[in-house]
Amino acid sequence: MSEPLLRMTDVRVERGLRGARKQILHGVDLTIDAGEKVGLIGESGSGKTTLARTILGLITPTAGSVEIRGQRVDDLPAAQRRAHRRTGTVQYVFQDPLLSLDPDIPVGESIAEGLIVRGGLDRDVVRSRVAAVLSSVGLDAGIAARIPAELSGGQRQRIAIARALVLDPALLLLDEPVSALDSVNRIQILKLLTELGHSRQLAQLFISHDLGAVAALVDRIVVLYRGNIVEDGPTHQVISDPQHPYTALLVGSAPTLSGGAVTRERRRELRLRLP
Amino acid sequence: MLTAILRYHSARAAVIVLGLIVALALFGPVLAPFDPLEQDTSAILQGPSGTHWLGTDNVGRDVFSRLLAGSTVSVLSALQCVVVGFLLGVIPGFLSVYLGRSVEWFTLRLMDALITLPFLVFAVAMTALLGNGLAQAMFAVGILIAPAFYRVTRAAALTVANSQYVEAAELMGADTSWIIRRHAVRKVLPAVGVTFAAMTGASLVIVSSLTFLGIGVVPPDPTWGGLLASGLQYLYQVPFGPVVPALLIVATVWALNAIADALRDATGRPARRAPRKQEVTSDVH
Amino acid sequence: MSTDTLDATSAPDTTRPRRPVLTVSDLRIALDDGTELVRGVDFSLAPGEALGIVGESGSGKSLTCRAILGILPGGIDVTAGSIDFDGIELTDLGRKQWRPLRGTRIAAVFQDPASYLNPSIRVGEQLAEALRSTLGLSRADAKRRGLELFRKMGLIDADTVYRQYPHELSGGMLQRVLIAIAVSAEPELLIADEATTALDVTVQAEVLDLLEDLREELGLALVLVSHDLAVVAQVCDSVIVMRDGAVVESGRADDLLTAPRHEYTRQLVDNHREYGLESFIGKEAARV
Repeated sequence: MSEPLLRMTDVRVERGLRGARKQILHGVDLTIDAGEKVGLIGESGSGKTTLARTILGLITPTAGSVEIRGQRVDDLPAAQRRAHRRTGTVQYVFQDPLLSLDPDIPVGESIAEGLIVRGGLDRDVVRSRVAAVLSSVGLDAGIAARIPAELSGGQRQRIAIARALVLDPALLLLDEPVSALDSVNRIQILKLLTELGHSRQLAQLFISHDLGAVAALVDRIVVLYRGNIVEDGPTHQVISDPQHPYTALLVGSAPTLSGGAVTRERRRELRLRLP
Repeated sequence: MLTAILRYHSARAAVIVLGLIVALALFGPVLAPFDPLEQDTSAILQGPSGTHWLGTDNVGRDVFSRLLAGSTVSVLSALQCVVVGFLLGVIPGFLSVYLGRSVEWFTLRLMDALITLPFLVFAVAMTALLGNGLAQAMFAVGILIAPAFYRVTRAAALTVANSQYVEAAELMGADTSWIIRRHAVRKVLPAVGVTFAAMTGASLVIVSSLTFLGIGVVPPDPTWGGLLASGLQYLYQVPFGPVVPALLIVATVWALNAIADALRDATGRPARRAPRKQEVTSDVH
Repeated sequence: MSTDTLDATSAPDTTRPRRPVLTVSDLRIALDDGTELVRGVDFSLAPGEALGIVGESGSGKSLTCRAILGILPGGIDVTAGSIDFDGIELTDLGRKQWRPLRGTRIAAVFQDPASYLNPSIRVGEQLAEALRSTLGLSRADAKRRGLELFRKMGLIDADTVYRQYPHELSGGMLQRVLIAIAVSAEPELLIADEATTALDVTVQAEVLDLLEDLREELGLALVLVSHDLAVVAQVCDSVIVMRDGAVVESGRADDLLTAPRHEYTRQLVDNHREYGLESFIGKEAARV
């Protein structure tokens, strides 16, 4: 049996100062296998951002473990953590490329940053890798010389994705990848992400508050409610036959073209059943 | 940066003025027609004339030559003061952001203490302690100027350190020195540049004030402030006396401040609001 | 490219046609240099009716709303056409003439609630201030009415919320506060420009319910702008689809969005279906 790519075991995270500690994650178990596409759905206050940051090692869990390919990554000393990051196994696409790209640096250099930090490659190789990854996100290599402000929102988001891909990761975390985009760009990026999912042996974890935005991209849906995973199953099943009232509420709240999947009364009822 | 400011009219004039002053400071002593220390008791307190372009002072020394010599002293002292402030402010500014809580706390408290000290009083005290010389006085003032550099460096470095693009770099395994070199320096430089220009102006005023009061001056060395003082002293005999030293001081300080303003305008970035779904709502072109 | 003009007579209601509260005719908006941004928009809205405006960024939908509210940005003006609100020609009004209308008879809610509230004043006080200025209520009355409104908006702990500052409230609660302020004077027309876009989906459902309720109780006419077709489908009676400043299709919401005629609308609907929840929910909805 092969090892899962990511395994989180009973992860607990507390934040806050002494005396006013608050539990954000209450014992989360999550496994992702190589190549799997998973959607993590959570609304504000669910802890989804904390969960993502814990996977990335930006937050140290109060208890529990995070393993990447069987190796624990949650309690590494700084130097080893940097070494692990340089392998590029897990990469992150931020929600807003306007904030996550250095505004004064040409985007090509931002993309190349990971390669340069990792070291060991000469400039020409770096340049050609950047060009290759730009083309895989549907952009022309010439765009590398521009700064973020000169690009459109859709282009910037592609640059952010390109930067994450250039280190050839095994797991890609995407935080609300399309929520800041208008419908035209949204569809394009969704199409791009679907393609990328197919072409590379790339596991993807989409983090979103909007089930509808990622349902078509993922095979499996994990629902996070108030720091607990309340549902974890194949997409079709979670949506058509949710086990937990919160999932039912999520699914039912989404408006549809035929005018609302679920009635108000039913929603009210579900809300009352929530822990 | 320098080329950017030349777009502004005031900056262009200021650069020219400053260039002249610097030229004066560098070449002044060489161009002086007379020895600034040479006394000529037969020509005391004369007004401007053919031989003495700006007249003579109370012991017959040529004022023009003294002004030229004084330029060097005054300008260099001001620069010395700013450089001391720069080094003692920028470095702790960076360290406070990247070296952890205790360094941060310590430098903040240190700078707080320095801010409370009054310039002139401190300078006088320093000269009493270290000996009566302009260099010592300016070193002391340099220490007092450091907090301005510290604050500006720290503010810019903090913004960078808390930014998402730095976090993105960290996630790719970058270490602190890479982040400083690659991202922080570029963002801190403009703000520090503005402060440098403005503080040089401030230092010059302080030099002039100190020398005006006779502090840090080892007579008979000429300084702008000293010349201003003696010009005022003998106002009755030579009404024209204080004008040129005063003009020089004012012109230099004005030029420096104009350059500082232009730098700030040229490098400032309009504050960005928290980004929203700009593309969805703002179809107001 | 059909640009049917909607008017109250095409409403499905069995009641006899009522005089429209808002009629926009051939509205054209352009930049100072002549570039047209909105090229001839027509629609009308009866009391209690909800109209959805759908389109992407650059389509002109937000500009149209701003024109109706009289808040077009500098350098952009209405160059032709009319906006008739209950007999008043809005495009002719000056600042003074707008005062009795804006906030009292015509109200609006936008996307980012936090930026429309003063961060250093408690939210209850901000509502009370609006009530005092538009309705001339006394302090005590304004507070009482404010609390009432908060409760009506579904803010459960109205007394506590009343005393809170904007930063202490979630996006959904802030939006409810803004809706409370918007409807405090019982306006006849409410414009909601991407009002639920930034909200979590469960919160969005509640806010949309709230708007439904207000339509019923106050006979509020609603203009809802959204890039999300489903939101428009759920709330609106009629829809206009805008693209590059022009209306490419208009009609009843349930018709247009399920069986679009224009190619662009069809593309929007297809995109929504392909990546939305629709395909998964299907007929299973009843089970949930």
